[in-house]
Amino acid sequence: MLGKLLKYEIPALGRRLVPLYIGWIATAALLGLMVGPLQKESEFMIVISALLYTAAATAVVVMAVVMIIQRYNNSLLGDEAYFNQVLPVTASQHIASKTISAMLWVLLSMVAMAVTGIIIAMFSGHFLDIFKVNWLEFLSKVDWLTVILVLLVTVFGITQSVLQIYAAITIGRQAKQHTTLAAIGAYIGLMIAETFVGRGVTEVMSFKFYDVFNSIAGFRMTMLIALVVTIAIGVIYFFICNYLMEKKLNLN
Amino acid sequence: MARIEINHLTKQFGSLTALDSVALQLEKGQIVGLLGPNGSGKTTLLKIMNGLLTPTAGSVKINGMDPGVETKKVVAYLPDRNALPDYMNTKQLMDLYEDFFVDFNRSKAVKMVKDLGLDINQPMKKMSKGTKEKLQLCLVMARDAQVYLLDEPIGGVDPATRDYILRTIISNYNEDAVVIISTHLISDIESVLDDVVFLKEGRVVLHKQAEEIREETGESVDKLFREVFRC
Repeated sequence: MLGKLLKYEIPALGRRLVPLYIGWIATAALLGLMVGPLQKESEFMIVISALLYTAAATAVVVMAVVMIIQRYNNSLLGDEAYFNQVLPVTASQHIASKTISAMLWVLLSMVAMAVTGIIIAMFSGHFLDIFKVNWLEFLSKVDWLTVILVLLVTVFGITQSVLQIYAAITIGRQAKQHTTLAAIGAYIGLMIAETFVGRGVTEVMSFKFYDVFNSIAGFRMTMLIALVVTIAIGVIYFFICNYLMEKKLNLN
Repeated sequence: MARIEINHLTKQFGSLTALDSVALQLEKGQIVGLLGPNGSGKTTLLKIMNGLLTPTAGSVKINGMDPGVETKKVVAYLPDRNALPDYMNTKQLMDLYEDFFVDFNRSKAVKMVKDLGLDINQPMKKMSKGTKEKLQLCLVMARDAQVYLLDEPIGGVDPATRDYILRTIISNYNEDAVVIISTHLISDIESVLDDVVFLKEGRVVLHKQAEEIREETGESVDKLFREVFRC
């Protein structure tokens, strides 16, 4: 059933984000042209195209965050929940589908950002410079283990942040009134709790034993600990959502 | 075993008691009218039966099971509001129903949509409120479910559609299903009811067969309702 939920959930987010990606890429092309072949035409247009590019990037980020929150809130706890919550699927499958879909679109937004970078390079006439770099030599020098660890911490960190928002919304919905205010209060509460946990773990596990700034092994160990803590906290948020949705659901 | 068993079901919202120790047993093969004025607890009862509200006390059993994934497979629910995603069209919604409900009868849904003059490719957001209600009802009634929970199915539609809906409910009636219709428009549905439940301030004040009421009191269900709930 998770696959079926994703079949409908992924396009539900994409219908708003894909047009924004297209707009973002178009502004990247315009910026590339302005800083490249058309540079001498008008400095004013360079500023305008840079502003357009920044505005498009901001719109993508804002829309992604708004849609991720809105999809969870409306479809599982709002009016649409009267449709979705009577589908024969478990609460955990609903939450997992929302989380996976959110993650996918966050990652696609990152890919879109990389694409806009390439587009700017292409349209500005500097694209061929990419081939001047000795990629084989560069790639052979990369510390892949550290890179993978940092990537994992980033991906799971974003997932955990999404689950934190979901947990805050679900807790907020337990309030009899002013549910949005209650959700914001819950979010602040979870942030404070998380900060305490993070600081405690960091002090006990990391800095006491490893010299992070001078040793790559120390940095890797810190990333590993961060990864474990991030996943553990994410799992706790998932269980909070699941418990409240399964045992305390009260749609008004 | 009764298809639906409700025991000492209580639901409180703060100091307000929406349902007060409700007990009911509903058998398959009948159309039940869940009747009561606004605020009597009809919607709350249906929402608990769908697992959308958590009861304060008591229990609901459908085929002997608490509301959950297994009961949702056999319960077709029409809520009292438009709950369909507004970015989808009729065809996409049928695809979704087909994906999630094994008992969804697509050809029946297509026929109902055509009968009601709905455009299969029209997005929900371009539909009027009444059209959305019709579509929602088509999707629900196109399931070959064991339990139909219909919350105010005829409240927001025109008289012609009302007749069509009632005909659809009767034609869907089978020996294995129970249909519960919550409404206060009793005169419109009285002719299709087998069983009648009166809810008043969260309590069951009457549960009888419609025919029995007419024989015992010599009155229609509608007239009796007006007497019981006189303001």
